[in-house]
Amino acid sequence: MKFALHVNSCSLVRGWGKASFRIAATLVAMALPAVAMGQESARYFRANCMTCHTIGGGRLTGPDLKDVTKRKDKEWLIKFIQNPSAMIDSGDPYAAKLLEEARGVKMPVVAGMNAARAADMIALIEAESKLPESQFQGAKFSTKPFTDKDRATGRAIFVGSQKLKNGGTACNSCHSMYDLPAFGGGRLGPDLTLVYERLKGRKALSAWLISPATETMQPVFKDHPLEVEEINSLVAYFEEAAGHTEANASVTRIAFLLSGLVLATAIIFLFDVLWKGRFRAVRRPLVEGIRRAIHRGPQTAGSASVAAEADG
Amino acid sequence: MQVRSQVSMVFHLDKCIGCHTCSIACKNIWTDRKGAEYMWWNNVETKPGTGFPTKWEDQEKYKGGFELAENGKLNIKSTSKTKIVPNIFHNPHMPTMDDYYEPWTYDYQNLFNAPEGSVQPTARPISMIDGKDIDIQAGPNWDDDLSGSPIYAENDANLEGLTERQRHELSAIERLVFFYFPRICNHCLNPCCVASCPSGALYKRGEDGIVLIDQKRCRAWRSCVAACPYKKTYFNWFTGKSEKCILCFPRLETGQAPACFHSCVGRIRYLGVLLYDADRLEEVAKLPDEELVEGHRSMILDPFDPQVIAEARKNGISEAVLEAAQNSPVYKFVKVWKIALPPHIEYRTLPMLFYVPPMSPVQASKPEDTIKHNSDNLFHDIDDSRVPMKFLANLFGAGHEGGVRYALAKQKAVRWHRRAETVGDVDRETADRILREANCSREEADAIYKLTTLCKFEDRFVIPPMHREQAIEMMKDPYEHKTEVGFGFVSGPARGL
Repeated sequence: MKFALHVNSCSLVRGWGKASFRIAATLVAMALPAVAMGQESARYFRANCMTCHTIGGGRLTGPDLKDVTKRKDKEWLIKFIQNPSAMIDSGDPYAAKLLEEARGVKMPVVAGMNAARAADMIALIEAESKLPESQFQGAKFSTKPFTDKDRATGRAIFVGSQKLKNGGTACNSCHSMYDLPAFGGGRLGPDLTLVYERLKGRKALSAWLISPATETMQPVFKDHPLEVEEINSLVAYFEEAAGHTEANASVTRIAFLLSGLVLATAIIFLFDVLWKGRFRAVRRPLVEGIRRAIHRGPQTAGSASVAAEADG
Repeated sequence: MQVRSQVSMVFHLDKCIGCHTCSIACKNIWTDRKGAEYMWWNNVETKPGTGFPTKWEDQEKYKGGFELAENGKLNIKSTSKTKIVPNIFHNPHMPTMDDYYEPWTYDYQNLFNAPEGSVQPTARPISMIDGKDIDIQAGPNWDDDLSGSPIYAENDANLEGLTERQRHELSAIERLVFFYFPRICNHCLNPCCVASCPSGALYKRGEDGIVLIDQKRCRAWRSCVAACPYKKTYFNWFTGKSEKCILCFPRLETGQAPACFHSCVGRIRYLGVLLYDADRLEEVAKLPDEELVEGHRSMILDPFDPQVIAEARKNGISEAVLEAAQNSPVYKFVKVWKIALPPHIEYRTLPMLFYVPPMSPVQASKPEDTIKHNSDNLFHDIDDSRVPMKFLANLFGAGHEGGVRYALAKQKAVRWHRRAETVGDVDRETADRILREANCSREEADAIYKLTTLCKFEDRFVIPPMHREQAIEMMKDPYEHKTEVGFGFVSGPARGL
């Protein structure tokens, strides 16, 4: 097949020079992956970085990345991007400064990150920084003040009584909140009472919710993103919650333990009732019953009186 | 008609002296192993008494055997297809170790190794389960000869239906009475253990009807332990497999009587072939209680009947087995003379071990200083026996006295007849009248007398050639089998698959 095609094409392009054909083919071969790679990097940046960063859109949870390569050398950046916690823990002064600026929110390890990818990201940021208007400036959210209705809807979404439009999981599956009862919220993710403060307010929190980037949340919400109105309601709810203190986790834990004990006891009793006709023992109760009758005395013992005589 | 052969047994309780030789013979051959210490494939019980395991006849507790459901179906009491799922991790009707007993041995080494002291060294009892010192609470024949206390005797399940006076008489001083009840696996026609096994590990051997447990297939469900109403399957806690009496089939196959039969001091045990009609199994097992004994007996076929012989040949029963069936002492006791009865046939497993019910001394009362017997007759009225008829009927007649009375009357008639023949101090006419009343001819009485008292080895044990080569033929070339037997590795039963 390949051979036939080759012969065929040779006969068709007979007028062309062999060299020019080769050059054209090489150009196409080089250009295609470059474009594809650019698109891939942009997609990756959008999915994983934009929750905390903008390029020229100002600070969210993380810093604005415009001209980041001018602030710090590439080698350091590539190392940091791959494992931010390790860098912070190593006592690097610049990393510590970043952590302080982010109010203690550590940059997570991004899923699928490696050295090559980090280099791609840096290249992308460099290229985008040169543009006057980057495509990664960040989403525009409304700045209207929240209403009570927003807050109520936000709570409804959080506890799952109002379903998320794109089929995402309700927040309380993994997170708890100050106003939820003991088993109202899950304990996989952190308590979200103070998340509004932690992520530095409305803009950053909204941006974060567009595509949650932690290793746990990303797979869950990747195919079920939140709608802009849903994010608005949730943020309204979080803003109100920030005025309260977090739910007491130890109370929940004790309640969980106690209810576990109660339930286990109940199940044991249920089994005892269900199998009440089971075989227990024959000989021991028989002998002990008669022994007790003997100890009570011959008047009440009835038939056991003979045994009492035998016993002396 | 579906003729099959079964190696069956008769225990003549009137001859049993309760010496436990049978139990010891069996223990030495088969159950002197780790995990089998507590098993007594053969045991001897004192009646009245609670037996081994304690009160095994109380099926309200042990749930053994079958019960006839209202829709006419025969259900296993302890389990069913629906019950097995919720009970998959725990069988709720298992006897506990205490209901058997915790097996023990003695620290004999202490007798030799104890340091010098002011007292004699003793051999203290040690549990064979955990190896620690044990305070012995029970044993396999704990209430043997009533053991000086009526605790166990008063709780015999067969006392049901006896009057208060009868119960009292049984254990009253100087009137006390008991007899022995040796038990092995009954190798039932409708074995409940086989029916209950979820793994299909139990089977009834086609050629001789011996019920066996396949040690490779057993998966330790222990359904058979709960299901057997006679509590004659035991769980080996060491190998994780259940075990039971195998009727010494390796001995039978070489023409020898099973060890317990062979060693029996009182010569109470008879073994022989019975032919039965397997087509009638279900119908008979479903009969009402009062018809069970007669129904069971009617299943047993006459080995002299030409039609039966023809059908037997059609089913592949060999001439040698037919001949053994014709000479079978069991056939005579059960079918011809009708003096041997199945134990607790109300469990509906159709046991193939039959018992000749025991005679017992006459009832007596003590109005003044001397004991006054109710009857002056040497061979008294059997209804005045110290063991109440109702008690024997509970054991051997599903609560109905007819069969037991018939068997006892015939035994009494034989005694009258032989007394008239040999001693001559009773008159012939009375003896003949009593024979007539017992539905017994002089010839029959002589035959019963002969097989009871003058029986030799070959009279008691009519063992047909087992023709294992024919059974093996179904799976393998017998010549090939013969050359291979004894080679290779014999693997013992082990836990797991």
